[in-house]
Amino acid sequence: MALERPIDDYESVAAWAKGLREQWGGDPLAEEPEKLRTLQAFCEFADTDPDALVAFCFLRRKATGERFASVKRRAAVAEQLRAFRAESGLTGTQARARVSEVLSFLIHNGVLMNPGMV
Amino acid sequence: MELSKVLGIRRSIRFFDPDRPVEREKIQKILEAMRIASCAVNAHWLRAVVVNRAEIPPDTLEALKTPVAGLVQELAPIHIYCYLDTGIVNRIKGQRLKELVDVGALAPTHGWSHTFVDEFVYPQILKPLTESPGYAVAAAFDCGGAGTQGLLVAVDEGLGVCWTAFNPAPAKQLLEIPDDWIPLYVMNVGYSLESPEAGGQRPRPPFEELYFDGKVGRPFRRDPAVVKELEAAGMFTAPAPLPNRKQEIRELARKLGLPE
Repeated sequence: MALERPIDDYESVAAWAKGLREQWGGDPLAEEPEKLRTLQAFCEFADTDPDALVAFCFLRRKATGERFASVKRRAAVAEQLRAFRAESGLTGTQARARVSEVLSFLIHNGVLMNPGMV
Repeated sequence: MELSKVLGIRRSIRFFDPDRPVEREKIQKILEAMRIASCAVNAHWLRAVVVNRAEIPPDTLEALKTPVAGLVQELAPIHIYCYLDTGIVNRIKGQRLKELVDVGALAPTHGWSHTFVDEFVYPQILKPLTESPGYAVAAAFDCGGAGTQGLLVAVDEGLGVCWTAFNPAPAKQLLEIPDDWIPLYVMNVGYSLESPEAGGQRPRPPFEELYFDGKVGRPFRRDPAVVKELEAAGMFTAPAPLPNRKQEIRELARKLGLPE
């Protein structure tokens, strides 16, 4: 599914950009546009958009409205990432790096996810 | 290496060379250091199972990982799974205390004899202790001390180390753990890909917030001259963050294909 609007219009992508700037300095998304291209490719592969992807990883407690990480949904995203990596045909560090671009997006949006889980 | 320097350079290492094996003799030295640790009633609750990560079936390795520490477990070539053997006190029934009496570590000067162990210490202190809710906490304190000795020897041997949690159920099955062993932590061991400083000595709470003199609320006064002496001895090293740390992490991320 193609995204409905440019990828950098999404709130979660802005949060990613902010997180990367604060962590590394400069403007990593502008300097390395392949990061956005990889995220877009994953969203299309998973038939979602960046904001929906982040929202999917969390649930809210009915009583308090508090947001919490969903273990099952995180596992589902990890499965999609494994499929995305396999579909790329890449191997070794290159394959890991492709998935890591998406992980970076999720991590900077507060999703409990790291390469050891994918 | 001097002890002060070992303490000063120790870091929790999170970037290991995943393909560089660890010499078996170095692992033995870690275990030897654990064995000679100070231990209440000479019980020695700590049990450790050494596993070569490459020999863990892939599905089991995935199951062993925790959400936060999974990458460390994946990179470290050696896992030392640490457990607390809760049954040891009631199996040895004070025997190891009597060994301490025999070698003169415990003496009548302090009230110790075989009869004292057999008729008082074991039946009236140790056995009830094993049935009390605080037993595992007390034993875990000793396991932590023993584990730390091993950890420091690993650093002295030029290895990187990092304690993490692990999922106990798959570990129990893989390692054939007895039912009365309590899972503690896994020591992840390997050669570090980080610089020896690993970004500098990590921040810690203020000294006066942790330690007291005579009563809680009266901080133990920290003598700056002692601090200087420890700095000179290498126990205190340059504090984190060192100027190049982010660059170092970024280079490691790119080398290993990790998220930034």
